[in-house]
Amino acid sequence: MNLEQKIKQAMQEVAELGDCQLVEPIQPNTLLLESGLDSLGYAMLVAQLEEDLGIDPFTELAIEIYPSTFAEFLAIYQQCLNTQ
Amino acid sequence: MTDYVIVTGASKGLGLAICQQAAAQGYGIIALARSCSEQLSSLQQTYPERVHYYAADLADLNNLSVLCKTLIKQHGRPYALINNAAAGHDGVLATMPNSAIEHLMQLNIQAPILLSKYLVRSMMLNRKGRIINISSIIAKTGFNGLSVYAASKAALEGFTKSLAREVGKAGITVNCVAPGYMQTDMTSSLQGDKLDSIKRRSPLGQLATVNDAANMVIYLLSEQAGSITGATMTVDAGSTA
Repeated sequence: MNLEQKIKQAMQEVAELGDCQLVEPIQPNTLLLESGLDSLGYAMLVAQLEEDLGIDPFTELAIEIYPSTFAEFLAIYQQCLNTQ
Repeated sequence: MTDYVIVTGASKGLGLAICQQAAAQGYGIIALARSCSEQLSSLQQTYPERVHYYAADLADLNNLSVLCKTLIKQHGRPYALINNAAAGHDGVLATMPNSAIEHLMQLNIQAPILLSKYLVRSMMLNRKGRIINISSIIAKTGFNGLSVYAASKAALEGFTKSLAREVGKAGITVNCVAPGYMQTDMTSSLQGDKLDSIKRRSPLGQLATVNDAANMVIYLLSEQAGSITGATMTVDAGSTA
């Protein structure tokens, strides 16, 4: 499973946990705020990915501006994994 | 798997009493402190499977993320965080060294905020959890010589209310316990007339003990306290009644 698929799977898991309905399909330009996850769901996604991938790019790369689209979110995780 | 509770400032005073009572109740304990005390070691010997000690200086804020990551990796998702560690430098503000003010704010408010940030995420995935912040009646009453300490505790109470609103939907409760004057190392400078006057003002004619405050923490940890969040529970033998 590639990184994009792992993130989408994690989104699905936290959506179920948080009782949110994800939009279908999630495209690169899908806005995270309009993906169906609320702010708590988004925090849960970062937590789930930290468990799955062992990284929290927002802490490790000290990112201060949160990504707005799915593609930007994916790129940050890719960047963090590349620097490991 | 046993629910485990992370307790800061666990080597003595209230932190130690919380560890003792929580371990006796069957919780797993991660005890954080700068150094291990004899009593904490003895608790570990009583419950070798249940009580784990990690050395940590929480005022070293940059290490908190790694510390939390290590704890979660070793022990899994925590059930609860008890932010008990605090410094209580006293002295009039006008002559308090800036370094003492900075250290106090780092340990008393920034560290609890960051620990909550890194640990509440795992609780969210568990859809249950408890964060208990140890405040003080001084957050509301004030006390000569403790202005910075009071500011840090009032900040902790404000933080508690807002975080409770943020994470309630995920089944996590966030509360404060505000003890009155207890006889601990932190209040050892309080002696003689001052101490007598505090005792006299209490309707019960005595001070609350660390075990009284720990009892409240244990209650807030329990399932029975599942509907209490955003609250400050005062344990002061009635001093502020």
